[in-house]
Amino acid sequence: MRLYRKEGSTIQIVCFPNERVEKGDYLTIGDSQIGKSLIVQVIDIQYANVPGILEELLRHYDGDSYIQGEDVDPFEVATHIAYIQDARLLICKIRATENGGDLVFASSWLPHRSRAKVQKLSIERLLTKAGTNNGYSIHLGETAEKKQLNVDVRALDGSLNIITGKKGTGKSHISKLLTLSLASHGAPVVILDLNGEYTRLSHNNDGKPNEFLEKIHVLNPRQNLKITLGQMELRVMLSILINALHLPGTSAREFRRIWHYLLQQNALSMHELGEAIRNWKCNQHIRDALYSRYHTLLNSGLFTDNSTQITSLGEALDLARVGGVVVINLRDTSNIDRLIVVEFLLGKLLELLSNWKLRAVFLFAEEAHLYLKETYWDDIVTRMRHFGVFTTFITNQPDTIRENIYRQADNLFLFNFTNEHDLETVSKASRVDSETIKSVARDLPPYNCLVSGRIVNDFPIVAKIRRLDVHAMGQTRLFFSDEN
Amino acid sequence: MVNAQFPITITPKYNFPLPPENLLLPQQLIELSMRSLKQLEKFHPPLGKGPPYQSTLPRGDRQFRTANLVKLKPNALQTRIVAIDASSIRIGETERGTLLAIRGAIVWRQAKRYRYLRLGPFPFHITERNKNEICSFLHSGNRAAVVHEDFMPSFIHLQTKLTTLLERWIQAFVIQTTHDSLILWDGSLVVGPFDVPKHSVEELLKEARSRKNTILAFSKMTRLLLHGRRITDFIWRQPPPCLLKIRNHSMMAGSMSLLGSVYVTKLSAGSCAFRLDVDKELSHKRAVEAVQNLLGDDLIRQSYPETLRLAHIFSTFTANEVIGIQRCFALESNMKIVTRPNIRRLLFGRFGKGAEG
Repeated sequence: MRLYRKEGSTIQIVCFPNERVEKGDYLTIGDSQIGKSLIVQVIDIQYANVPGILEELLRHYDGDSYIQGEDVDPFEVATHIAYIQDARLLICKIRATENGGDLVFASSWLPHRSRAKVQKLSIERLLTKAGTNNGYSIHLGETAEKKQLNVDVRALDGSLNIITGKKGTGKSHISKLLTLSLASHGAPVVILDLNGEYTRLSHNNDGKPNEFLEKIHVLNPRQNLKITLGQMELRVMLSILINALHLPGTSAREFRRIWHYLLQQNALSMHELGEAIRNWKCNQHIRDALYSRYHTLLNSGLFTDNSTQITSLGEALDLARVGGVVVINLRDTSNIDRLIVVEFLLGKLLELLSNWKLRAVFLFAEEAHLYLKETYWDDIVTRMRHFGVFTTFITNQPDTIRENIYRQADNLFLFNFTNEHDLETVSKASRVDSETIKSVARDLPPYNCLVSGRIVNDFPIVAKIRRLDVHAMGQTRLFFSDEN
Repeated sequence: MVNAQFPITITPKYNFPLPPENLLLPQQLIELSMRSLKQLEKFHPPLGKGPPYQSTLPRGDRQFRTANLVKLKPNALQTRIVAIDASSIRIGETERGTLLAIRGAIVWRQAKRYRYLRLGPFPFHITERNKNEICSFLHSGNRAAVVHEDFMPSFIHLQTKLTTLLERWIQAFVIQTTHDSLILWDGSLVVGPFDVPKHSVEELLKEARSRKNTILAFSKMTRLLLHGRRITDFIWRQPPPCLLKIRNHSMMAGSMSLLGSVYVTKLSAGSCAFRLDVDKELSHKRAVEAVQNLLGDDLIRQSYPETLRLAHIFSTFTANEVIGIQRCFALESNMKIVTRPNIRRLLFGRFGKGAEG
C-alpha cells in the first residue's frame, strides 16, 4: 500500500490486489524517522484510475462473443498488467495521530509520502491503544478479523444513544444485548416495548428459563400494571391530562382544585374523582371537558381503586435497581392508553430519581415517536439526563428522531440503510463524519453494525453483533412458511 | 484416446492457426530479449513518452475522373481473412539505454466471428553494449531478418527494426499456415535497401502465391504523389466501393523498390480512402477479385477492413500495459524506477512541447 494523496481529512491510498483490505478496516501510516503515525479508517474502496483502462476493457469486450482469442506471453507480463488493472484506491478518514504511544484526535501532521509505511491495524490493537476496555466489559460481537469485540458498558452511562437501521437488520438484537449486558452489570433498565419483543428475555430459544429469569420484570398495562390515584403526584396526572389527553389550560386549573379538594378530604380515588367532577360548581363546558377525560382514564383500565390490584412501578424498579429490566409491554395497548402509560412512567421515573430512590435508569424506547409527545424529546435529551435517565432510541425510521437528538447522541449503533434520505438523516450525528456513515452503512450486511461514539472512543468500528440465546419475539409473522 | 487409435490428418487450412503451445515463437528473439534484460542493474529510467504523432489527412476538393476506376461489387465466398500488425513502445529510459516492448497480433475472421492471437509483449533493454549483439541478430540468416548487413541502425531505430522483425516473422508464419486466404498487412510493399531487405519480402510474396494466398497491404497514410497531388485525392469524391490503379506515381526513384501494384481504394461511404498495395506478380483482375472478396467477407468501417483494424487494436499498447511492463521490468531486474526531468519543460515551461529530453 502506498500513500497517494490527502484532501481535508480524507487520505487516499493505493492498494494492490494481493493486499486484503475491506471497508471499515483501520490502517496506520507511519513515519519511523519521526516516530509518528496517522490512524486512518477505510470508508470506501474504488478502482484506481489507471490510465488506459477503458481501452483495455473495450479491447477485450466479448459480451456477444464478437471477438475471442489467446495470448502468447512468454515473459508473463500479463500478470503484471492485471496487477495494475486491479489496483484499488482506498478512501480513508483520518481518525487520530499516534505520537509516541499517545493518541491525539487531530490531523495537523502529514506523513512523508514516499517514506511512509502503510500497514493494517487490527481492531484489537486499535482498542488497546484507545483504552476502551477497562473492566465493565461487554461482548458485543466480532470484528471483520473474526476477533471478539468487547466494549466498556460504562460508555452508555450518562449517554444518549441511537440504534437505527432498516427493518430486519438486527436493531432489536443489539438493544436486547445491551439491555441484558447492562442488567448483568447491575444497572436498572426500563424498556418501552412496543411489540412485546422483550417479554421473553428471561427465556432461552428453546423456551427454558435463563439466568435473567429473576431480573426481568414484565409489566402489562391493565393486567399487572394498574395505578391508584394515591400513587400519583398531581404533576404527573396533569402531564397525562394536558400532554396525552389535550386538556385545555382553564380546565386543568379546575382539575387542580378538584385534586386538592379530594386530597384534603382524604378521598383521592377514581370513584370520588368522578363524583367530584359531576358535582363541581363550574362552567358546563369545563365540566364536560373534565368528565370526558375522566372517562378516558377510567376506560383505559389502568386506574383502580382496589389497592390489592395495584403493581407499584416503584417496586419493580426497586427490584431492578441492583441489576434488572422492567419491560413495559405496550403491545396490546391503544394509542391513547400508550400515551397515558408513558406519561405516567416518565413522571414516576422523575419522581423516583429526584427523590434519590433511584440513582439512574437506562431507558430503551422503541419507535418513540409513536408514544412520545414532541415536548418530551428535548426534555429527555437535556433535562432528564441530569436526573439520571439515559435514553436509547431504537427506530427504523431515522427521520422520526429530530436532528438535535442526532447531534447530541453520544453513541450511534448503525445498521444497514440503502435509502439516501435515511442516510442523510443519520449522517447528522456529530460523533462521526457523514461520509463514513453514508459509505459504510450502505454496504453493511444484516447483523453487522457500525458502532461509533464514546463506546469505541470515537473510532467507528464495524462489528457483527453476537447472537443471543434468548427467546426472540421480534420476528415478523409470516403467512408463507418453509413448512408450507 | 480416440485420436490415438484413429490418427486424423488435418489440412493446413483447417489447422490454422496452430495452438499457442505448438506455435514456434522465434526462440532467438526471446533469448535476445532475456539477455538484454539481464544487463539491467542500477539505473534510473524515466517513464516519459513522446507526444503521439499527429496525422494530417490530405484534402482534395476536385473531382478526378479516370478510366482506370473500377466499381466494386461485394463477393461473399467465405474467404478466410487474416490480418497482421505489430507495434512497439518505449517503456522508459535508463542511464545506459532504452527499455522498449514489442508485440504482434494476428486477427482472423471465421464463421462471422473474429478471433485473435497475440504474441508478446517482448521486452528489450537496448544499450550501447548490447546494440551490436541485437544488430548481429537482425543480420543473421533468419528468414525473417530485415536489416541489411551493411547498415548499423542507430540506437533509436532499433525499436523499429525489432518491430519489423516480429511483424515479418508473423507474416511468414501466417503465409506458411494458410492457403486460399486474404492476408491483410499494415503498410506498403515498398522495400530496401536497409530497412526492409527486398529478398525477404519477395520470398514471402512468392510463398503466398504458391499457397494461393493474396496479400493486400493497406497504408493508412501515403506520401505518393501523382501530378503533384496525393494519390488518395483522386478517389475522394467517387461513390464507394471503388478501386483505382495508380501508375507513374512519384515513388519510382532512389534505392527503394516497390514489390506491389499501387491502388487507391474507397471501400465504404465516408471521407477515408486508402492506398492499397497488391503483389505485382498478381494480375489486375486477381487484385480486383481479392478486394471484392474482402468487401463480401469482412466488415468495412470507414473504408478500412475490420480484421486489420482489430489487429492494430490488439497489438497496440495501452497506458495501463506500459505501467504493467514497467512493473515487470522493475521486479525482474530489481531496479528502482526514477523519472528523469523533462529538459524541455525545465527550459521552456509550458512552451516546452514535443519529445522529452
